Amino acid sequence: MIWRSISSFAAASAVVGMLSLAPMRSVAQSGEKGNAKGKNLGGPGGVIAVNGVRDENLPPPPEGPAPRFYDGKPDLSGVWLSGNYSFSSMGGALPLQPWAQKVMEDRRATQGRDDPEAKCLPAGVPRITPYPFKIIQAPKVIAMLFEGNVHSYRQLFLDRGHDKDLDPSWMGESIASWQGNTLVVDTVNFNDKTWLNGAGAPHSDKLHVTERYSRPDLGHLDVEITMEDPGAFTKPHTFKRSHVLSATWEIHEYVCNEFNVDVDRLVGR
Amino acid sequence: MRVLAAVLALLIGLPAFAHHSFSAEYDANKPVNIKGVVAKLAWVNPHAYIYVDTKDASGKVSRYAFETSSPNALLRRGWKRDSLKEGDEITVDGYLAKDPRPLTDGSLHGNARLVTMANGKTVFAGTSADDGGPGK
Repeated sequence: MIWRSISSFAAASAVVGMLSLAPMRSVAQSGEKGNAKGKNLGGPGGVIAVNGVRDENLPPPPEGPAPRFYDGKPDLSGVWLSGNYSFSSMGGALPLQPWAQKVMEDRRATQGRDDPEAKCLPAGVPRITPYPFKIIQAPKVIAMLFEGNVHSYRQLFLDRGHDKDLDPSWMGESIASWQGNTLVVDTVNFNDKTWLNGAGAPHSDKLHVTERYSRPDLGHLDVEITMEDPGAFTKPHTFKRSHVLSATWEIHEYVCNEFNVDVDRLVGR
Repeated sequence: MRVLAAVLALLIGLPAFAHHSFSAEYDANKPVNIKGVVAKLAWVNPHAYIYVDTKDASGKVSRYAFETSSPNALLRRGWKRDSLKEGDEITVDGYLAKDPRPLTDGSLHGNARLVTMANGKTVFAGTSADDGGPGK
């Protein structure tokens, strides 16, 4: 009964949330050519265009204290949107070794033609896509479900150490632990097939990513990311990202290979 | 000056696109303004396509296939799978693909930035407002 009440409440909240969005999206105006900022443009239903990837047109994230999981740890669950999405920026120039710098410049010169993302391959870690992701938390594992670039997932294991004998993988192997209110995620075991960002920065299979997740309040998830790669970097590189909670969005299906006619049309010149 | 150029190249050299870079596939120097009727809205991933039939002065009909954003991103912008219906009159401001070959179905290939409906409403159809492509 209590669960039914909760789910009814959740459904009602979702409806109220959707309705409350409506007045914020006033009827579109015409004559906005050349001003396609996404802010004042109408969707076909007469609603203002909500940027599909960022939250600038959405209501601010809900306020309140960071929730706690029943074991007392911070609860990181939710549908998260990139608060400062960037296709290429990772907090300044990456300390790339000369060969890696050359590879990045070549990729840039061909307009990102060979980007694995364009071929509907996984984004890897810590590359971010403009689509939301969902965190589902359990005591021994935390799951991250990514809407894009392809449906992919990460499992952050809390109850064991790294497996020493795994094949290299696209998303790596992630072992997590709590340090106070911060979830520290240690990820290794990558292949070298992904790009670190849209600018084409490469990495080697020695890539080691350390992420420190914290939820300062209900609506925000902050991450400090350190990349180490003795095969491609000259020194470690640390940067920060922030994500905002969407109280009204769910992750959607995104089957990238459904009609990917782009693949043989990326001329890159 | 070189530093400035390098920074600018970093900022604009590779326009961001959710799935692929704009400039790898489309030509910012080939803008088109196509007025016609909707043949269909293909609600598919990774990009939805708007097919538009347009007549030239001689009455010859050409079909354009305009790439837009992904259905999930369009949905969050207020679109639905039936937002455009066959026969709807629209105008598409967009850009032609660098590769001049038609799609396998014979449609001319472009990327839609703005769609203007018959009632004058203008809709942003690009992948995102910050994809770096033209028209932003």
